[in-house]
Amino acid sequence: MKFVGSPDGGAICTFEGAEVEVLRQVPDLLRSRYLPDSPEALDRVDPVRDRLFPRAYLDPTEDRAEDDWRAAVHPEILRDRLDGLDRLVAGLDGGEAKGRRWRVTLGPADVDVWIQVLNDARLTLGTLLGVTDESDFTRIDPADPQAAEQAVYAWLSGLQGALVETMLATLPLDGTDD
Amino acid sequence: MSGLASTAPVEVEEPIVDGRVTTDKPWIVVVWNDPVNLMAYVVLVLQKLFGYSREKATRLMLAVHHEGKAVVAEGSREKCEADVARLHAHGLWATMEHPS
Repeated sequence: MKFVGSPDGGAICTFEGAEVEVLRQVPDLLRSRYLPDSPEALDRVDPVRDRLFPRAYLDPTEDRAEDDWRAAVHPEILRDRLDGLDRLVAGLDGGEAKGRRWRVTLGPADVDVWIQVLNDARLTLGTLLGVTDESDFTRIDPADPQAAEQAVYAWLSGLQGALVETMLATLPLDGTDD
Repeated sequence: MSGLASTAPVEVEEPIVDGRVTTDKPWIVVVWNDPVNLMAYVVLVLQKLFGYSREKATRLMLAVHHEGKAVVAEGSREKCEADVARLHAHGLWATMEHPS
């Protein structure tokens, strides 16, 4: 991948074919976690879903408030997440061939959306891989049965990191601290 | 802390609602450490959602990373519910609680 960020927060990414394939698999990876396909799947313990939709109230006696909060906010969070998947696909579809590579031009709003989608993909893969603070995927053992997933996680981390740095550069250093 | 001249402390009675003592203590929003979210990403989210300076957002991120958690916002129950929802939408692991 070749990455060029622009001062306005946009970016031009030139992907290899295999990298485009990785990104095109992200919507399927996430959609099944956002929208379990059966009531039984919703009831099943799912660490990925728990990570994507964590509890708000720390106090376990606040279950009623928790249920009310979920009913109020989850539909919108879900809608935005599904919309993000569509916008990732639209961004890829809007690219152009550069030899054997695929060049995608993202505006600042696209970069914002891609960062969120990539973060959810990393949360999902990271949970499935059991990532810890000590995990280091800079040297992946090809014999590891999870080597492919680790490589995808590491690559998504690199792309998300580049997009984050581009967006951070557009934010002011000062703020409205109390 | 302001530089205004101090006055004698005043005892304020805590209001009683429905037989329960209520306090003016705000609810707090806590962000917890997790091994996936990039450090720069946490700074970005805190700046974007709360308008914090780079310095404050970085300090809070480092507290989350090194101490396991940090209080990133406070206020009414309703405000904290909205803050937690925005943090979850951005993939941060956040909870809210009312300090007793």
